Amino acid sequence: MPQRSQRCAAATSASAYPQRQEKGRSVTAEEWSATRLSLLVAAAAVCGSLPFAIPIAFLLARWRSPVRSLLETLVSLPLVLPPVVTGYLLLLAFGRRGPIGAFLEQTFGLRVTFTWLGAALAAAVVGFPLMVRAIRLAFDGIDPRLEAAARGLGAGRWDAFVSVSLPLALPGVVSGAVLAFARSLGEFGATILVAGNIPGQTRTIPLAIFTEVNRPDGMPTAARLVVLSILLALAALLVSERLERRAHG
Amino acid sequence: MDFHFDCRLRFTGGFCYDVAFDSAARVTALFGPSGAGKTTTLELIAGLVRPAQGQIRLSGRVLLDTDERLWVEPRRRDVALVPQDGRLFPHLRVRDNLLFGFRRRGKRVLTGADVDRATTVLELAPLMDRFPRAISGGERQRVALGRALLSGAKLLLLDEPLGALDQRLRIRILGFLERVVHEWRLPAIYVTHSQAEARRLAEFVVVVERGRVVGAGEPHAALGAPRPLDWTGDEGLVNLLRLDQVVSEPDGPVGVVSGRRLLLPPAPAGAAPPDFVEFSPGAVLLSRGASADISARNHLAGVVRRLVEVGGRVFVAVDVGQLIWATLTPQAVRDLGLAANESVTVIIKTHSLTFVP
Repeated sequence: MPQRSQRCAAATSASAYPQRQEKGRSVTAEEWSATRLSLLVAAAAVCGSLPFAIPIAFLLARWRSPVRSLLETLVSLPLVLPPVVTGYLLLLAFGRRGPIGAFLEQTFGLRVTFTWLGAALAAAVVGFPLMVRAIRLAFDGIDPRLEAAARGLGAGRWDAFVSVSLPLALPGVVSGAVLAFARSLGEFGATILVAGNIPGQTRTIPLAIFTEVNRPDGMPTAARLVVLSILLALAALLVSERLERRAHG
Repeated sequence: MDFHFDCRLRFTGGFCYDVAFDSAARVTALFGPSGAGKTTTLELIAGLVRPAQGQIRLSGRVLLDTDERLWVEPRRRDVALVPQDGRLFPHLRVRDNLLFGFRRRGKRVLTGADVDRATTVLELAPLMDRFPRAISGGERQRVALGRALLSGAKLLLLDEPLGALDQRLRIRILGFLERVVHEWRLPAIYVTHSQAEARRLAEFVVVVERGRVVGAGEPHAALGAPRPLDWTGDEGLVNLLRLDQVVSEPDGPVGVVSGRRLLLPPAPAGAAPPDFVEFSPGAVLLSRGASADISARNHLAGVVRRLVEVGGRVFVAVDVGQLIWATLTPQAVRDLGLAANESVTVIIKTHSLTFVP
């Protein structure tokens, strides 16, 4: 079956990087490819998650209903499940024979598994609880009476949310986005099941590191990728700090 | 204003709220201690809380009728709530706070000229570009008041707007409130636990305790006697005397109260002559004879009208042309032989008097 052979072969292929660079020299094209792919996947994961995370976080902060704990449990599930289990469940749902995957492919011609979209989906799901928690904390910190004050001045519920609640929660939204971005950069277990480890298509930095470590002479490349990974994480933290500071006004 | 309110609500914890009153006054005060249900009343009127059962009508318009399953959502009720802490939006500058309601509802009935008028009356021009965290408590209250005025509301709900302010600021903001009520001619429901504020601003007072109305009427009737219950509000029963006139004399300002002289403390520099003075019943001494050898300089002859024993104290009402309450021990009342229609001299220390503009 092509998908499984792609995962296994790519993990150990001796031709993963046909053109080797010397030890300690500049980054190869494949390493940059892994980096660009990681950034694309993480950005897509965050952008795709935010429209869901914000309203869910608001509901969890404000909703007084017995159903709220069920929602809270569902949202937190990817945090406690092993990532490969998450990946397996996503594969069942979004695989070519899965209910959602089949619908997407037949209706829109969109294939999710073994594409960068699958990697983004896996990253989005495992990062989602972190994003929701950070945003929810921000909404918890907003006095609900401010929203009531807005409604008392003629704002509808949606207007009060957009004009008052969301701007005040912005530091939390930024924090949640950065946490999810960083988590996405480091996602491995779910990604390798859902997207495979296809060079140039789904081989993100963590998968590339894993591949190189399993090669006899892959340690220097793995080391470069590790350094890249650390630099990206640091850059994400710096950007987050700046954005949070600006959001605080 | 023609206002009808009748709501019942049960809180978790067992507190029962059952308040009903009608008012045609321009300013109605809701007076009572903390936890009485005054803020709940405003929240019900604003539509922020739903009662189990109730009816609310404002000038013939039904805002709530649980029997008819009628409910008008908050933004369509044309009422504006001014909370105790102002509750300005911290992420918006003063200008945007001020215009928040105007941009949504107020511009249908108000114009830019009204915005200018509110800004001028409330002296907000220097504050427009600042954020709420950069202005004082009194300034925040003025902005909150302006925001409510410009929201196009037909009824203002003022929830202890002076509660978080010190005495000096209270006097200043009280002045702004009076100007607003007078110039904008908007009906208002004013929540307070201060008798002085209720008497000063309101034409009709509803006394609320433990979620029930225990009295209603014009201020003197509703507030003119101590309550036979545990609480008497943060200030206790307060004496409020109207000054017919204030004259300057070498020893200091002198107020004229029903033809009698009252030596007043020095007025704050630049302040206008006060209209009222307030003082606690605990600052009043009663004497059955002439009392020349005593430091307090204000001696007013009067007649005892009522004696009310409340919680181990005796409140004695003395008519000096206006009613003054004194707090005595039961023993003092017995030793002085005080009874209704007895003549007494009311003695008040000058420095126990506080100006109310």
